[in-house]
Formats: sequence, structure tokens, C-alpha cells
Amino acid sequence: MLDRLYPYVVRIAAALFALMFLTPIFWMLSLSLTPESGSLFAGGFNVSLDNYKTVLNRAPIFGWMGNSLVVSVATTALVLLFASMAAYSFSRVRFPGSKVLFILFLSAMMIPGEATLIPLYLLMRDADLLGTRISLILPALAGPMGIFILKQFFDGLPKDLEEAARIDGAGFFKIWYRIFLPLSRPALAALGIFTFIGSWNDYVWPLISISDKAYMTITLGLPMFQSSYNQEYALPMTANALAAIPVLIVFLIFQKQIIKGIAFTGGKEM
Amino acid sequence: MATQTSTSKPNTGVDTKSPRSSLHRQGWVTGILMVLPYTVFFILFSMIPIFYGFGVSFYDWSLLGDKTFIGLQNYINLLQDEEFHTNLLNTVLFTLVSVPLITVVGLLLSVMVNSIRKGQAFLRIAFFMPYVLSVSVISSIWVIFLQPYTGLLNRILRGVGLIQNEIFWLSDSTLAWASIVMATLWWTIGFVFVLFLAGLQDIPESYYEAAGLEGANRWQTFRYITFPSLSRITVLVVVLQTISSFKIFGQSKLITGGGPAGATKTVVFSIYENGFQTFQMGYASAIAFVLMLVILVISLLQTTLLRRFGE
Repeated sequence: MLDRLYPYVVRIAAALFALMFLTPIFWMLSLSLTPESGSLFAGGFNVSLDNYKTVLNRAPIFGWMGNSLVVSVATTALVLLFASMAAYSFSRVRFPGSKVLFILFLSAMMIPGEATLIPLYLLMRDADLLGTRISLILPALAGPMGIFILKQFFDGLPKDLEEAARIDGAGFFKIWYRIFLPLSRPALAALGIFTFIGSWNDYVWPLISISDKAYMTITLGLPMFQSSYNQEYALPMTANALAAIPVLIVFLIFQKQIIKGIAFTGGKEM
Repeated sequence: MATQTSTSKPNTGVDTKSPRSSLHRQGWVTGILMVLPYTVFFILFSMIPIFYGFGVSFYDWSLLGDKTFIGLQNYINLLQDEEFHTNLLNTVLFTLVSVPLITVVGLLLSVMVNSIRKGQAFLRIAFFMPYVLSVSVISSIWVIFLQPYTGLLNRILRGVGLIQNEIFWLSDSTLAWASIVMATLWWTIGFVFVLFLAGLQDIPESYYEAAGLEGANRWQTFRYITFPSLSRITVLVVVLQTISSFKIFGQSKLITGGGPAGATKTVVFSIYENGFQTFQMGYASAIAFVLMLVILVISLLQTTLLRRFGE
């Protein structure tokens, strides 16, 4: 009896969980579409975009998103470039000391970024980079996870692949960008997604580095804007919606790849 | 490497062990050049900060650069700093509560979703979606969600008859921590869920068929087939969650502001306050070094555990 009911119980439970998970997001959207009244259901269904207009007038939301986009895209592109080069070198070229260097990079995965905030701040200040968007990009390039993930992927590629190219006289560099990069598109996509999400969501380092409103990322600017509203909820919620909607749209379009990518990088990150 | 003996490349005779090693030698320069860009950033933004930070921790170092060498004084102060002890204890407790909770709920969700074919894509999206939002967005959503009188959570709880009076989630220290745990669970469970789901889908169908033939019930199947097959991923999830729980800052800063009365401050909160609010760079560096040591120990334990489970 219980056994026959099991599939239904699971379905109902899963549906309830899904409803619970989606509720805060739906509530965010519905509050943002309801003019400020303090109450969501009382106002009925008079949907309006007034809150959106007000928030966009009062805060440079798009400017902040632009900063986030510049920082995240630059970080992701450079991480992919440097990590794939280094990973290829570690996987296929091997020079004296390469193994030691690889282990050194790997052990740095155990160092949390939060532990180097103070020296990073002092160094950036001395280099006169504090408060710039570049200061948000540079430290992320030192993360070793990409090398680890890509090296594992490269190690799994069959050796015959490059054999033919080598006979034709292609050098290591050429093999890297002609053969390895095109073949490792899934791994690069996975790493790219992981890096992009991490960069977009970074909060503590931008909080320390950036003080000028014009250079803030959305993750940093949003709470600053919201902190001036105390008992009003529609406008802060609208700001959340503005920050979330583009991300959610991108997620819904690429959800399959993103989820697969997270599973891939997460499973490799050890 | 040893299996790669047959190749059409003529042996140049420099090395007799492998015909390809001469090419490898020619590649040294390329190889080093290809590692170089990353290495530069690694040295500048990983190595130097670690040693610099360690050095700073031995100084009384103000923001303007006045510094006095005080030896181990910062670390001695750390031993007597009750606020730091509270924040450390808070962080440990948060980790002890949130890691098992997120792991178990993530596993539960993934097992449920894995058994559902129709609508699986929708469920995956629903559980993963919050993960792509930033800590600012999720924190603000939860602050408004938890408001007494106007917040949706209290309304729902009242609606289904679970509570009679308003709950002031963010004004009581235990409830404030509960709020942070709930928000963190909602935000990050997607990651754990996706890892477990990927692991579940790697278990060969034949295992379950064999269990079916043996007449195993649902619990026995989970206990003796599903769970052991997921042991590697479980260790990975627990370790990744432990590390990220230890580094918690954003949720505490943005949901509760560390309050009420500092009850939800964490270790990274200590670094932030000492370093960038009272500008005691040396003291903050000492805290950072302790954090680094703790995480290092967790990571090393992980390696040992993973190796044991990997066999």
C-alpha cells in the first residue's frame, strides 16, 4: 500500500518544495509590480511599472550592472585564457619543475580569499589601483581552480589527436589553440559559468576596494541604495527585481548548460 | 607515457627513453611561456599577499601606515578578545548547523527529483534558481520576507495556523541565526542538489535491478546502494560547504547587520571590522591568519577523507 503510494508522495512533496523555493522570487516580482501600500494582496491586481521608473531614476542600476558586466566578462575571459594555457602546458608540454609548480598552484586552492583582504588592500592602495574596476579583476586571476579543472580535462583527451598536427610541424602553442581549445568547449563553458557567477556575486572585496558610487558593481550598489529605505519595501524589492531579472533570464535560457557546468566544475573541485 | 612508444616521428637520438622527449625539450620554452601569465598573477595576488599579510600581523599597523613591530602581541590579544571568541563560536555553530542541514536537504531533494521523470527539468530549475542570484539580492529579499506584520513568511505561518503572534525574526539572536540559516539554505542548496543529482545519475541501473531481484525494500536500496555510491560526493559536499560556511560574511552583514547586539557576527566580520572600520590592520591580519589555518586544516582533513573514500 505504502509502496504504491510512494511515487505520488514524492511528486507532491517535490511540488511543495518547488513552490516554497519559488515563493520568494514570485513575491519579489509581485511586490515590485504593486505600488507601495505596505500590503501585497490588499491592493488587488493593479499592476504598474511605477516602482521600476522610480528606482531607475534614483539609482544608477544600469550603470552598476554595466560595471558588473565589464568586471565579470573581463575576469572570465582572462581566467579562461591564462588557465587554459597553463593547464595545457602542465598536461602536455612539461618542463623541468612543472610538477612542483602545479602542486604549488594546487595547494593555493586551500587559501581562502578572505584571508588576504588586508594585504590586498594595502598592495592595491600602494599601486594606486584602489577603487578602480581593475582592482576587482586582478585578484580573481590568481585563482588556481581553472588550471586544475582544465588540466584534468586535457589529461583525458586522447594523445593521437595532436600526433597528426605535430607531424605537420605544428608547435605546442598552435596545437593549444587549434586543437585543444575547440575540443574543450564544454569544460571551458563550465569553468566560464563558474567564474562569471563568482565574479558577479563577489561582495566582500568590492565592499573594501570601491567607495565611489560610479564604479560600484550591482552586488555592492544594491545594498547601498536599499539602506536608505526603512519601512518601505516596494522600492528595495524593485531594485532586487531589476538586479535579478537579467540574471534569471540568462539562467533560464542557458539553464541546461549552467546546471551541467556547475555539476562538472563542482565535481572536479577537490 | 610508457605506452606511447610507437610513433611515426623519427627518433632524433638525443634521448633513448622516449622518442618524444626531444620535442618536449624544444617545448620547454613554450611550456614556460604558457605558464608565465598565470604565474605572474599568482605571485602578485596570492603569494605576496599571504606573506605580506603574515608579516603585517606582527605589527601594530594603522591605516595611514604608522607601524610598530609588536611581535606576537596581536595573537596574544586575540586569545583575550571576547568579541572575537564570540564571533568564532558563532561561525562554528553556524557551520555545525548549516552544513548537515544543507547536505541532508540537498540529498533529499536530489533523490526525490531523480525518481521523477516528468517535470524533472522544472524541478531542477526551481531548486537551482536562487543560486544564480547575488548575496545582495537574496539578503534583501529575505529581510523583506521576514518582516513582522508585512512580511510574507509570518503571513503564511499565520495563515496555516502555525503561529498566533508575530515573530520578530531579526530581533532575537537565535531567530536571527535561524533566518540566516534559512536564507543560506535557500540560496545555496541548488549547488549541493546539482552535485548529488549528477552523482545519482552516474549510478548504473543494473545495481538497482540486482537489488530488486534480491527483494530489497526502498530504504534498504537507499542504504546499501544509493548512499554508498554517493560517498565520494557526500564528502566533497560536506567539505566545500564547511569551507564556505566558515567564510560566511555577506548574509550576516546584509540580513542582520551582525545584530541583534552583535549576535550574528562571524570571523570574516571580525576581519572586516578590525581592518576596515577601526583600521587595525595588524590585528585584522592576525585574525585572517587564524582563519587561513582553520581552513587549511579542514582542507587537509578533506584530502585524507577523500582518499579513504576514493578506494
